[in-house]
Amino acid sequence: MMNIGEEKMDSVVVISIEGRVDGLTAPELENRISEIVDRGDANVLLDCAEMTYVSSAGLRIFLTGARKCQQSGGKLTICSLQPDCKSVVETSGFHTVIDCHDSREAALAAAS
Amino acid sequence: MLTFVDEILLLMLDDEKGSFLPIRESTMGYVLAGAVLMDLAFANRIDTDPSQLMILDKTPIGHPTHDRILENMAASDETRDTKAWIETISREATEIREQALSGLVDIGILESQEEKFLWVFRARRYPTIDGRAEREVKLRITGVLLSDETPDPKDVAIICLADACNILRDVFSDREINRIRPRIDQIRKLDLIGREVSGAIQEIEQAIMAAMTHAHH
Repeated sequence: MMNIGEEKMDSVVVISIEGRVDGLTAPELENRISEIVDRGDANVLLDCAEMTYVSSAGLRIFLTGARKCQQSGGKLTICSLQPDCKSVVETSGFHTVIDCHDSREAALAAAS
Repeated sequence: MLTFVDEILLLMLDDEKGSFLPIRESTMGYVLAGAVLMDLAFANRIDTDPSQLMILDKTPIGHPTHDRILENMAASDETRDTKAWIETISREATEIREQALSGLVDIGILESQEEKFLWVFRARRYPTIDGRAEREVKLRITGVLLSDETPDPKDVAIICLADACNILRDVFSDREINRIRPRIDQIRKLDLIGREVSGAIQEIEQAIMAAMTHAHH
């Protein structure tokens, strides 16, 4: 199960992810990021404070989303990863291609 | 559309001679097994995390070898991690390879030639007759490795496979490879299946080196 919320903070659209991002739920997240970028908001922050699990399929969507934002002149960033998810992201080296911040505040400050 | 198995086989072939570049049999097995798993993952049939491989959907994807492997995986009672499945599937490398080569001949990318040597032995070669698909794959690889753009996950996957069997040297010069090695290392970590393929190959190579060292003493 995954729930996603969305709110705009200045020039950044924050997507709050709650629950699991896996092969079953990742397509929904992918569609949401696409919709946001297609309507002209290319700066997206994935707030993962409530994300409890991320699989390879989820990580692929992070990458696809980051690429889409970059191609539209913006940036996708991630914040507030829980320790287990942070470990998966760091082991896979995703933090070397997508900026990861410890908190939403830090991510938004970096974006401004 | 070409599968990862098709794409990596095209990169493994010497275009003019139609024979395979020198790649250890075990390496080819692991790389082809990884390519099958990547095809199934990108078709949303399987998903992976560092500790296990999950079946999401056993609906066939329309490639007989992939579909048979998916069926076998779905029928297994045992939960295994990605590495264990790579080892299991690598035992079917010959069939995976032959089926894909035959498909590439059917769609006019390769031609099949049978040669006899020493009057008795037969060898099949697959010269390229339409190089567009392979050029496109090489362009994608160079596009990612020579830039710092965020890569497409499909390009990440093919770079992992190509690096695992050391055939990027057929795309880049040795000097270029050395220069872009940090970028290759960054990219190849991004795909979990690719990482497991590289890990399995490294283990085999270390075992062979250890055996050779032992034999010398």
